Amino acid sequence: MLNTASVNDVLPGAAQARRRLHPMTFVLLFLGAALFLQSAFVVHARPQDLITGAAGIADILHRSFPPDFAGLPDALWPALETIDMGIFGTAIALVFALPLALIAARNTTPAKPLYFLARGLIALARVVPDLVWALIFVTAVGLGPFPGALAIVIHSLGMMGRLFAETIEDIDMGPVEALTMTGASRLAVFSHGVIPTVMPSLLGITLYRLDENIRSSLILGFVGAGGIGFQLLTAMNLFQYRTVSMLLVLTFIIVVGAERISAALRQRIA
Amino acid sequence: MSQPLIEVSGLAMRYPTGRMALTDASLTVNAGELVVILGANGCGKSTLLRCVAGMLQPTAGRVTVAGSPISNLTGQRLADARMALGMVFQNANLVKRRSVIANVMAGTLGRHRNWKTALGLLPHSERPFAERCLDEVGLLGFADQRAGTLSGGQAQRCSVARALAQRPLALLADEPVAALDPEAAEGLMSLLKRLAHEDGLGILCVLHQPDLARRHADRILGMKDGRVLFDEKPSDVQEVAVSALYAKAPLETLPA
Ligand SMILES: Nc1ncnc2c1ncn2[C@@H]1O[C@H](COP(=O)(O)OP(=O)(O)OP(=O)(O)O)[C@@H](O)[C@H]1O
Ligand SMILES: [Mg+2]
Repeated sequence: MLNTASVNDVLPGAAQARRRLHPMTFVLLFLGAALFLQSAFVVHARPQDLITGAAGIADILHRSFPPDFAGLPDALWPALETIDMGIFGTAIALVFALPLALIAARNTTPAKPLYFLARGLIALARVVPDLVWALIFVTAVGLGPFPGALAIVIHSLGMMGRLFAETIEDIDMGPVEALTMTGASRLAVFSHGVIPTVMPSLLGITLYRLDENIRSSLILGFVGAGGIGFQLLTAMNLFQYRTVSMLLVLTFIIVVGAERISAALRQRIA
Repeated sequence: MSQPLIEVSGLAMRYPTGRMALTDASLTVNAGELVVILGANGCGKSTLLRCVAGMLQPTAGRVTVAGSPISNLTGQRLADARMALGMVFQNANLVKRRSVIANVMAGTLGRHRNWKTALGLLPHSERPFAERCLDEVGLLGFADQRAGTLSGGQAQRCSVARALAQRPLALLADEPVAALDPEAAEGLMSLLKRLAHEDGLGILCVLHQPDLARRHADRILGMKDGRVLFDEKPSDVQEVAVSALYAKAPLETLPA
C-alpha cells in the first residue's frame, strides 16, 4: 500500500525539506523584485503624473459625453467592414490552413522536407503580428479594408495552421492505417480517416479565431486598413471626442456580440 | 485449396529500438484455407501481419501476395497490392465519429479512387453491398449508429464487415474475437471458415483460444519468439506443443 503516510515514513527527509523554506526561495524572491523594479524604471513609471493628469482625463471624459449618436449611420458601414474583415480573413485562412496543417503534422506529412517548410511558413505567419502584416499590405495594395483582411488571413493562417497541426498530431492513427489498407488514395485516407475525427476541434478553433479576428480588425484600422479603427483614428485626430465615445460603444457591441456568438456556437459543436 | 495466396519466407523484423520481433518466420496461406496463428503475447504475431500487409518494411525475408512481392512496392503499386488484402485490426480501428455503414463503405474506397472520394464523399452506389457485409456479421440493425457508440464486440465485427467490403482475396485478422462473447466468437469463426471454404478467401487469423483454433482452423501455426515452431492440421497438433508456446523460459519469468 503506497499511501502518503507510508511514503513520508519511508522518506522523512523529503517531507521535512518541503516544510523548511529552501534558500533558493529567497534568491528567487529577490530576483523577482529586481525584475519588477527595473521594469518600473524602464517604463518611466511616475504615479504622480497620473494624479496631475486626472484633471485632463476628467476633461476628456466630460467632452466625450454624451456620445454623438447622430453620427451613427455614417459609422454603420465601417462597422460592417470591420466585421467582414474578420469573417473574410478567417474563411480564407481556414481554406489554406487545413492542407497546410496536414503537411505540418508529423503523422500526416507526405515528406520531411515539406514538413519543415510548412512549419517554417506557419512560424513566420504567426510570429509577425497582424498589425505589421497590415502595414506591409497597406503599402502594397493601398488603404482600405482589403489590406486589413489580407493581414488577418496571413496571421490566422499561422495561428490556425499551428493549432490544427497539433490537433492532427494527437489523433489515433489506427483508422488511418485501416483506410490505407483498403487501397484508398492518400487524399481519401485524410478526408475519410482524419477529417471526420478532427472536424469538431477544428471548427472550435476556427470560431475562436473568428472572435479574435474581429477584435484585431478593429485595431488594424489604425494603420489605414479601413473599418471602425480608421474612423476612431480620424475622430481622435480631429478631437471629436463625442464621436469617439459613440464609436467605442459600437466597438463594445461588436466585440461582445462576436464573443457571445462564437462561444454559443462552440458550445453547440462540443 | 490450390494456389498459394500469401507466401512468407525467412521473414525477420528488427524494430528501431533494437528488438527482434521476428527472427525467421515462414508460412503459406492457400486460397480457400483458414490458417490460425497461436502464440504468447509479444511473440511477433501482429508484427508478422503488418509485414504481410506492407505496413512495415521487414529487415529481411520475402512476402508475396497472389504471386507478386509486396515488401518493396511503394505508392500506387502498393495501394493496388493492398486491395487484395483485407485487414482486421486488434482494436477495430473504426472512425468513431462516423456511422457504422459509413465505416463499412470506406472499405470500398480502393475501388473508387476519384475526386469525389478524395473530398470525403462516400461511394453511395456501394451502400447495398455494404449492407450485405454488415448483415454477414449480424450488425445490419446498427447501420446508422455512430461507430464510437458500438460495444467492443460490435466494433470488432464492424471492422470485419469493412474488410469484407473491400472484396479481398485474402484476409488478415488480428485477434478478431478478442472482445466477443463465446457465442459471437463461435459465429465469427464460422463466418471466416465459410468465407474461406465457399468464397475461396485465404485467411490468416491470430487467436488466443487454442480450442477455437482446433474447432475451426484448417491449419494451426504455433509461433514463439519470432519464429514458427509448428504448422499442422488441428488433429495433428499435440496439446503439449500448444502449452509449450505459452510456457515462459525460467529466465524470462518476471521477478516477484
Ligand atoms: N513499434 C514498435 N517498436 C518497438 N518494438 C515493438 C513495436 N511494435 C512491437 N514491438 C515489440 O515487438 C514484439 C512483438 O510485438 P507484436 O505486437 O508483434 O506481438 P504480438 O505477438 O502481436 O503480441 P500480442 O499477443 O500481445 O498482441 C513485442 O516485444 C513488442 O514490444
Ligand atoms: Mg498483437
